Order: sequence, then structure tokens, then C-alpha cells
Amino acid sequence: MHKLFGGKIGLAIKVLILLSVTGLFSFMAYLALLKSEWIIAGVLIAIVLAANYIYLNPRPVAGKFLLPGVILLILFMVVPVIYTTYMSGFIYKAGNIITKEEAIHQIMTNTGLQPDANNTTYDMVLGTVGSQYTVLLTDQTTHQVYEGINGVATKMSPGSYHLNADGIADSVPGFKAYNDAQLANADQQITDTKESLGDNKYIIAQDANTAGLFIQTLIYDAKTNTLHNPITGATYIDGGKGYFVNRDNRTEQILPGWRQPTWFSNYTSIFTNAKLRNPFIRVFIWTFAFAFLTVIIMFGFGLVLAIALDKKIKFRNFYRALLILPYAMPSFMSILIWAGMLNRDYGSVNALLGHHIDWLNQVWLARGAVLLVNLWLGFPYFYLISTGALQALPGDLEEAAAIDGASGSQIFWRIKLPLVLQILSPMLIASFAFNFNNFNLIYLLTHGGPTNVLAGETAGGTDLLITYAYKTAFATNDQNYGLASAISVVVFIIVGAISMWSLRRSKVLEDMR
Amino acid sequence: MSHVSKRTPSSAWRHIFIIFMILFALFPIYTVLLSSVNGTGALATGSLWPHTIVFKNYTKLFNDASIPFLRWVLNSVVLASLNAVIGVLVGLFASYAFSRLKFKGRKNSLRLLLLIQVFPNFLALAAIYVIMERIYHVFPSIGIGTTWGLLLVYLGGSMGANAWLLKGFLDSIPMELDEAAKIDGASASQIFWLIFLPLTKPIIVVTTLLTFIGTFNEFVLASIFLQEVKARTVAVGLESFVGSDFGANWGAFAAGSVIAAIPLVTLFLSLQRYIVGGVAAGSVKG
Repeated sequence: MHKLFGGKIGLAIKVLILLSVTGLFSFMAYLALLKSEWIIAGVLIAIVLAANYIYLNPRPVAGKFLLPGVILLILFMVVPVIYTTYMSGFIYKAGNIITKEEAIHQIMTNTGLQPDANNTTYDMVLGTVGSQYTVLLTDQTTHQVYEGINGVATKMSPGSYHLNADGIADSVPGFKAYNDAQLANADQQITDTKESLGDNKYIIAQDANTAGLFIQTLIYDAKTNTLHNPITGATYIDGGKGYFVNRDNRTEQILPGWRQPTWFSNYTSIFTNAKLRNPFIRVFIWTFAFAFLTVIIMFGFGLVLAIALDKKIKFRNFYRALLILPYAMPSFMSILIWAGMLNRDYGSVNALLGHHIDWLNQVWLARGAVLLVNLWLGFPYFYLISTGALQALPGDLEEAAAIDGASGSQIFWRIKLPLVLQILSPMLIASFAFNFNNFNLIYLLTHGGPTNVLAGETAGGTDLLITYAYKTAFATNDQNYGLASAISVVVFIIVGAISMWSLRRSKVLEDMR
Repeated sequence: MSHVSKRTPSSAWRHIFIIFMILFALFPIYTVLLSSVNGTGALATGSLWPHTIVFKNYTKLFNDASIPFLRWVLNSVVLASLNAVIGVLVGLFASYAFSRLKFKGRKNSLRLLLLIQVFPNFLALAAIYVIMERIYHVFPSIGIGTTWGLLLVYLGGSMGANAWLLKGFLDSIPMELDEAAKIDGASASQIFWLIFLPLTKPIIVVTTLLTFIGTFNEFVLASIFLQEVKARTVAVGLESFVGSDFGANWGAFAAGSVIAAIPLVTLFLSLQRYIVGGVAAGSVKG
């Protein structure tokens, strides 16, 4: 065994793994370079260099053990966190997703390009003159023929072209029409066909056989950073909020917008915009209340159960196997089952109670239901850790206290409970942090509801900060990523602070060797 | 021991409480079993007793072409196994470095690791989406929409999730052990593979199993990441029965849940000894 890992074979395995990783990642970097994805190629090369440096060099021993985890952590955890923080500084929502350059491009090619009033349409024949891509265009109404080369359409005089049986120009001297195979591959060329007629008018291909007349109604001027409408004479300026707006009427926006840097306005809007502030504060309070209450309740039941099952009780192992079943069941399933069980009309909870209660659609009942279901999910874990803590108490503790004249309840409340709390405090804090972000429970059980949509509420009665942020980003029409990122960062700061505080309290790092 | 005289009433109270909690624990499990053999497709139809027992919900899962249930199970098992095995190994490497090796910035790295860990990675979803979309552009098989891409995202969180837990266990292994091995001329990697790995078997079993279950349960990332019906995991697929896609089909959901839960619960109960030990050991270390 020792020879395997220490000797030449171990070295051979190491070199073999390193070589294959180097080969694979270099090849992947090459593929990325072919597609001009510089960042991906750069990351892959950096990984190869780091791996070779660290594993061929005898010195950085710790690096050898940390590298795989660190790479994964940076790429799929740290980078997304940084990017999210970065996004929170932008107006970044539905309609403001792309960069300003992309938005200008879209305005020029989409929004600011209107079909002319007569809906002038052309029959189009694709081909080449010499090696130049060329289109022949015949006006369907006036039968005027144009030749489009290199983005410019030129009027052709009658007689300089050949008309086919349908009256469509299909040839001029030197023109070679596309055959079927060429046509099949011409999608990109067709999309790009935009031939200028002068005067801001363009003939633009609609499909392989037809083109239409379009008027450029918005023109971008890079020097002044404005859009200009040559027909109405209106000028649109960058309004500073991710849109071009009419200089004379600022409420008139040109779509699409772009993501606009705004520094802290997403954060400040949480506290200043009443429409955001009121639900935020309510959700904030409920999140704390929920996390606190649920830990207390679960711990209470777990501890009592641990005491009840502590000593010589019959069928202890059998009871324990049944009691930890909720812990063993896949939780997403259990939560959905509970959602069905709490249904007013067909749920088994109402069948059991003989009532007709709408558990999940009244705020306080729904909050109670959330606590109840989480108790079901969590009490086995607390039972297990409480058992562990009780067993860790010194065996003669109880007797010593009894000799000193303490009663049974005094022993429990004054001696055992504080000791158990001390032992379990890291777990309780970890559980608090976990439940602070208990997305699955809320989302699968109540969707954060009940939500009074008619009153325009965005946050429901059981929404936690995390489900509220998620809804803000992904479930509303607004899809406000910027705001959601800001809420995420706020959640992150709160939970991070709690974790750091508990870390300091538990003195784990100070005791480290 | 001194409470012998009070034993009878106290014992009765204990049994009542324990039986109450057991009924509470079993009630949803009973409900789901009942619904899975209910012919109406509703969740136990508001009654606590089965009227008739039918198995059409089960057969539907395997015969209905629009429900690739076995594919979902396979996706989940592959994803959860790979994430558990690779993730725990990566976490074990890191925890060994944090527990035994001296390097600059060790405490701060540990702090940072804890801090990054509390950032729920699905809130960085938009960012993850952008990154995986770019990767998809070059390597379609590991980008957005693929199981492999999702695995990479899961693995990103594995070091933070596992390193702290495993480090706690490694710290409890006496220093003298590796010092003796060092004197015998063993290198760090020899100590790791030959001494630590066998000693950490119990905690490895627990962390692997818990990671497996955690991945199996993961819903948010999987539901946004995997759009195609065939690519779904069990969690996303079963949710769609009672979500909007299929209408509320509780019968099929219940049957699928029973099938998916049986191996997990069996695994859990058969490894109970390790889990109880691992969880309890974790509790007394604070």
C-alpha cells in the first residue's frame, strides 16, 4: 500500500492525471478561441497553468489539496456573487436588459425603422454579379426595377433587365441567379439585405422572395448622443434612466432601454419608495419572526422528545426509527404533500378535524401552517442533536444537584437546559440562518401567499426576504433583476453578519491549532 | 435513577407524548400512500380511509409516454450521486488542508468560506445563467439546460458546504497520529490517503448521504436550469404534476413520491447508525 502511493506508481498516476487534465483543458481552450470566447479560453488556460505549477512544485502542499475546490468555488460561487452585487448597481429589469450599444443597434434596426405608408412591396431575386451578392427588386405596384448591391439600390431603366413570365426582373447583364442549394444557405444574407434608396429610405428583405420599403424614423448621432427623427423633427436624449426620452416630453420613451448604472438607487428605493418599503418591512419582520419561532418550536419539541426517550423506555429503537422518518423523506415531496393536505376542499387535515378551514389562504393560518410543516420537517433533527447533547452532560450532574436539594424541575430549568443550550448554540444559530433563507418550504407550500393581488401587493403574508427577492426577479412582469440583486445583497449582509457573530461567539477559530 | 418512585406516571406521560409525535410524523406518509392507490387522482379525497385500492397511478407513471418518469429518476440519481461523491471528495481535500496544513491566510480563508456559503447561490441565478449561457455557446454539453452544467453549479457550493463540517471531524483525530507518520517519512498526500481516509469513513458516509439527499431535494436551480421535460429531475418533474403543467394530478404525484422515497428512506434507515452518530457527534463539538 505504501509503495503504491509513495513510489513510482504514485508519481505515474499523478503525472497521468495532470497530463490528461492539461490536454483536455488546453483542447477546450483551443475550441473557445476558435469561437472568440476570450474569457473562457483565458480561464481554462489559467486553470492549466495553476494546476501544473502547484502539482509539479513540491512546495505549496496546501495548494495541492485546495485547488479543485477553490476553482469550483471561484467560478460558480464567487463570480456569481460578485456579478450579482455588480448588477444591484444597475437599472436592470425587463426592458432594460441589454447594453446601451445593443439598445441603439436595436432601435436603429427595429424600433426606428417603419414600413412606408403605402406598404410598398418588391419581388426579389437573389444572385451574384461577379462575386458580389446582388438582389434584383421589382416594385409590385409600379413595376419599377432596382438593382441592390452593397447596401445601395439603383434604379434600372427599362430594357436594361430581363423580365420573366410573371413580370419580375430576373436577370441583368453579368447577373447569375442563386440555385436552390445556394438559396438554402442564404438565410444570413437575406437577413442582412438592406439597400439604401437615399432620403432615409431602405428596401429590406422580408423573406427569400420579397422585400419591403422602410423609412428610418430614428437616427443615432454618436457625437451628441441623441436620436433624431427626420420626419417629425423630434430629438431624443439619454434620460439617465436607461431610456432615450423626447427632449420636449420626457415621459415619451423609446424602447428598448438598456441597463443603466445607478449606484445605490436600488438600495435606497427599498427604503424610500413606499410601494417597495412597506412590503419590504413587513417581509423583513416576518422573516426574523419565522426563523426565530421555528427554531424555538422545533428545538422545544426535539428536546422534550429526547428527554422522553432518554432512558429505559420500551421499544426505544422502534420509536426512534419511526420518529426520524420525516428527516429521511425527501423534503420537497413532504412539503408538497402538506400543501395538498392543508387544502380546504380535499385536504386530509380538514378531513381529520371535520372542519372546512382554508389553511393556506388566510394570513395568520398560513403562517401557522408554515410553522407546523417546518416542525414536522425539523423536529427529528433537533431530537437527534438534543439526544447527543443530553448524553454529553456529566452523568453525576443530576445526583449532585439532587443531593444539594434541587427539585426535578429546578434541575431541568436551572442546570440541564442552560448546559444543553450552550452545547447546541452553534446548531441553533446555523438552523436560524438556514430557516432565514428557507426557500423551498415557503415556495412549495404557500408560494409566499396569501397575496392580495387585487390590492396590488407584490409580497404575500408568508413571504421571506428570499422568496420576495426571487419573485421580484423571476416571477413578476417587471423582472427587476437590479432590485432583486439589491435585496439579495441585503439578505447576504444580514445572514453573513449573524454567521460571523456566531463564529466569533463559538470561538472555533481562536481555538484552532 | 432517583426518580424510581415517580416512574409510573412519568412513563405514561412519555408514552402519550411519543405516540402523539409518531402519529404526527406518520400522518403525511399515510396520506401519500393512501392517495397513491386512490383512483380519483385527488389527494385522499377528504377521507381518511381507502374506498378502493387501485394501482393505475403507478402504471400511468411507466406507461404514459408524456411522463418520462424513469428518466427523471435517472437524472436525479446521476446528479445526486456525482455531486455527493465529487463534492465530498473536494470538501475532504480542503478540510484536510484547513485542519492539518499550515499556510498563510488559513483563518481568513475559513471565514471567507463561511461567508460565501451563506449567500444562497440561486439568488445569483441571473449571473449563473449568463455564465452558463456563454459556456453553452462553446461547449453545448456542459452549458445551460444540461445536467452537467447544473452539476458544475452544485459543485461550486460543495467546498463551502462540506469543508467546515469535515474539518470539525478531522480536528478530532489526534495530532500524534500524523506526527508519527511524518517521522516515518510519509508525505502529506500519503497521510491523507492512507491514514485519514480510512479514519473518516463514518463522517464520509454521513456527508455523502446528506449531500445526496440535499441534491435530490434541490428544486429552484433545477427548475430554472433544466427546461426540457426529459431533462428534469424527480423534484421538478413531480412538482409539475401538482403545479400548472399537468393540472393538479395528486394521484400520479403521490405514486411517484412513494417510488422515489422508498430507496432514499431505506438507505437512510439502514445507515441510521452512522447518521445518528454523525449528527450527535456534531452537536457535542461546539
